[in-house]
Amino acid sequence: MLDIKPIFNAIRRSKIGAVLLLLQIALTMSIVSNAAFMINDHVSYLRKDTGFPEKEIFSFAVMTFGKDRSLSQQAEVDETMIRNLPGVINATLSQAVPLSGGGSTSTMRLRPSPETSKSVSVAYYNTDEHGLETFGVKLIEGRNFRPEEVIIGDDFNGNGPNTIIVSQPFVEALFPDGNALGQTVYFSNRPLQIIGIVETMKSPWPSSDRDEITALVPFIDAKNYQHIVVRADKNERANIMANIEQNMLDAYDKRVIINVDGLDKTKENYDATDVLMMRMLIVLVVILLLITALGIFGLTQFNISKRTKQIGTRRALGARKSAIVRYFLIENTMVCMAGLFIGGVAAVVLGDVMMKTYSISSLELEFIVGTAIFIFAMSIFAVIFPAMRAANISPSIATRSI
Amino acid sequence: MFLHYIDLSWRSIKRTPVISFLMVFAIAIGIGLTMTSLSVYHMMSMDPIPHKSGNIFYPQLNIMDDGNEWHSSDNLPYQLTYQDAINLYNADIPVLKSPSFRSGFSVHLNSPEVKPTMEPARLVNREFFTIFDRPFVYGAPWSRDSQDTHEYVVVISEKINDRLFAGKNSVGQHIYLDNNSYRIVGVSANWEHHVKYYDVNNGAFNVAEQLYIPFSIAPLEEIGTWGNMNGWKHENSKGYQGLLASERVWIQFWAQLNTMQEKQQFGDYLISYMDDQREKGRFNREVLEFKLRNVTEWLEYNKVVSEDNRILVGLSFMFLLVCVSNILGLLLAKFLKRAPEVGVRRALGASKRHIFAQHIVEVSVIGLAGGLLGIAIAQLGLWGVRVTNSYYGALANMDVSMLLTAPIIALTASFLAGIYPAWLVCRTQPAIYLKSQ
Repeated sequence: MLDIKPIFNAIRRSKIGAVLLLLQIALTMSIVSNAAFMINDHVSYLRKDTGFPEKEIFSFAVMTFGKDRSLSQQAEVDETMIRNLPGVINATLSQAVPLSGGGSTSTMRLRPSPETSKSVSVAYYNTDEHGLETFGVKLIEGRNFRPEEVIIGDDFNGNGPNTIIVSQPFVEALFPDGNALGQTVYFSNRPLQIIGIVETMKSPWPSSDRDEITALVPFIDAKNYQHIVVRADKNERANIMANIEQNMLDAYDKRVIINVDGLDKTKENYDATDVLMMRMLIVLVVILLLITALGIFGLTQFNISKRTKQIGTRRALGARKSAIVRYFLIENTMVCMAGLFIGGVAAVVLGDVMMKTYSISSLELEFIVGTAIFIFAMSIFAVIFPAMRAANISPSIATRSI
Repeated sequence: MFLHYIDLSWRSIKRTPVISFLMVFAIAIGIGLTMTSLSVYHMMSMDPIPHKSGNIFYPQLNIMDDGNEWHSSDNLPYQLTYQDAINLYNADIPVLKSPSFRSGFSVHLNSPEVKPTMEPARLVNREFFTIFDRPFVYGAPWSRDSQDTHEYVVVISEKINDRLFAGKNSVGQHIYLDNNSYRIVGVSANWEHHVKYYDVNNGAFNVAEQLYIPFSIAPLEEIGTWGNMNGWKHENSKGYQGLLASERVWIQFWAQLNTMQEKQQFGDYLISYMDDQREKGRFNREVLEFKLRNVTEWLEYNKVVSEDNRILVGLSFMFLLVCVSNILGLLLAKFLKRAPEVGVRRALGASKRHIFAQHIVEVSVIGLAGGLLGIAIAQLGLWGVRVTNSYYGALANMDVSMLLTAPIIALTASFLAGIYPAWLVCRTQPAIYLKSQ
């Protein structure tokens, strides 16, 4: 019915064309399915919620060289000045800027060392009672720090804070049964009571595997190099950012203000490598598919031009136009299926090799199947037009030159 | 004969402009993509200091008591403690060595005319400049004497010298770093490297520091690091003095060991040093462990070439292969169509070798054209890389070797595609075609 046998015999007689097509489809298949999988990985990471209203927040660094003022007093003055600027929602000192790639982590445990107990590596932000509102993260349980709970000083072990606000993933990691509120965790052997839980609050390293287990610690240790994080009205932010350096220097001029960046820009810088990889992969996939489509188109065209007489003869002998089109479609399908099968196996092998060599998760089957369907549809599309033209070959061509 | 073949191929290309263009385009796209990723890879993996990379070594000591783990592949910390760095530097071994770490200062002239700016700085000993062959525009590194007497001296970069002193010889002048006045002893030539190989812990593709001051000033001014600092045990240390005595690692160290013998001696010294420290209560471990890696090994160990980039290079070569098989198909169609003409030429006395050569020349012309167009596409791609990620600014460029590689890869690819069609067409039997004419 489908004339598979004669078509197969015809393919066997002009092997090279079919082999080329097969090779191309197999290669495309293995590259595209792996690349699509990696693109998907990057896209889903870039779309992940960070917990911060990125368009409202900006940060900058202050490097003070003057020695005639107390840094922590000056910090208080600065914070108040910034909070009073029109459009500013809140501002805080923080030893680390979210999503920036620079910050601190430490191990927090259920019991003080050297006792052995469950522990977890935590990325923490040292801020004051304004930190919660400035970061714009959502408090789902408990409360914010009270002003008297915020410790200003440089002796964390001796005279440090007693409270901590943690993220939901922190709770899941250390207290799988829930009920974390009011519990005590040990940070550098200092007991801290959990007074609040926020939903999502990413660490300074959103692409690492330690991206979600985070905490706010009410401890201000003003240094000559420090970060100030400001949250402002979305529409006012650009304006405030433009004037912040002057405002800060007007307040005290023996310092340098640098890195005034919106949080969305900070994240963009941090993600630049991922975005680059994603873009290059997308370019590669798109061009590759185009080239393969062109290749299939060209080879079919070549096959048809070689077989003009044969097609004319078949038409003269009574074959319908649809039979001619069907012939080419089936021929293409046979080669394509074989190519997709080989390509699928190659894709799995390639994915496996990459998983073993690099830190990539293993290729999911749905990407192979999806890519196969797509390439198959594309090949049908590339074949159908030359095939229809072939069907229009008049029977007289066959008879004329014989 | 060769020129005649080129003439023939030009005629042939003109006769089938669409197919020829498609072939050139396919090679160009393949080369463009491959060269884009290969150029970045090449810049990342290029030997940053070829004449010495095998002689400059980075020592690592396993300072941890038994039962502790480090997050590196071989369980060794990436940096040294302050006390180890100082002890190694002061060790009585006649080789060039220098501790170093990254910090930064606000730079000004203590006058209202010049607005203070923030500049990254590196704290090193004078040997650092010799180890890494740093040329000086004016002056020289500070003397051993000013290093030992904690004199406040500084080597500034050409860039800062241009900005603050309009490029004039500023040796002997003073600048302010934070609140202190430093005497300028030298102006070093701008350091333009693709990989910041002497400090890969803090961004391997960052730009060089603009200021260098003696390491011995760090404890006096309590200068903190701008780089990573890691600990492995709980210590009740307080303040900067506590840090200096602690087990936290934050200092990098380089030593120039010119011969295997020097390396062996340095290694032996490290073992005896650790043994000595063990008696003083540190290094509580069964097996004393150290590693000496040269620049090349150090870059490899720190995985400076990113995984993503290796994957991209691999994928783009596979992509080139797809382009090759495409071109193979097109060439087959084109050459076989010309079989009658070839039949006549064979009948007129052209040997198989002549026919083969003629077609290979044609393929090479196409390959070369594709390669050149591919370089243009690669430039476009590299521009895209630079726009997307400024961190790769210095990396996303083609140097001469890459510019030469592009046509070579293009020619190889076109040979790969052309050999079979050319071989097929040169086997044409003249008789068949003569008969039907």
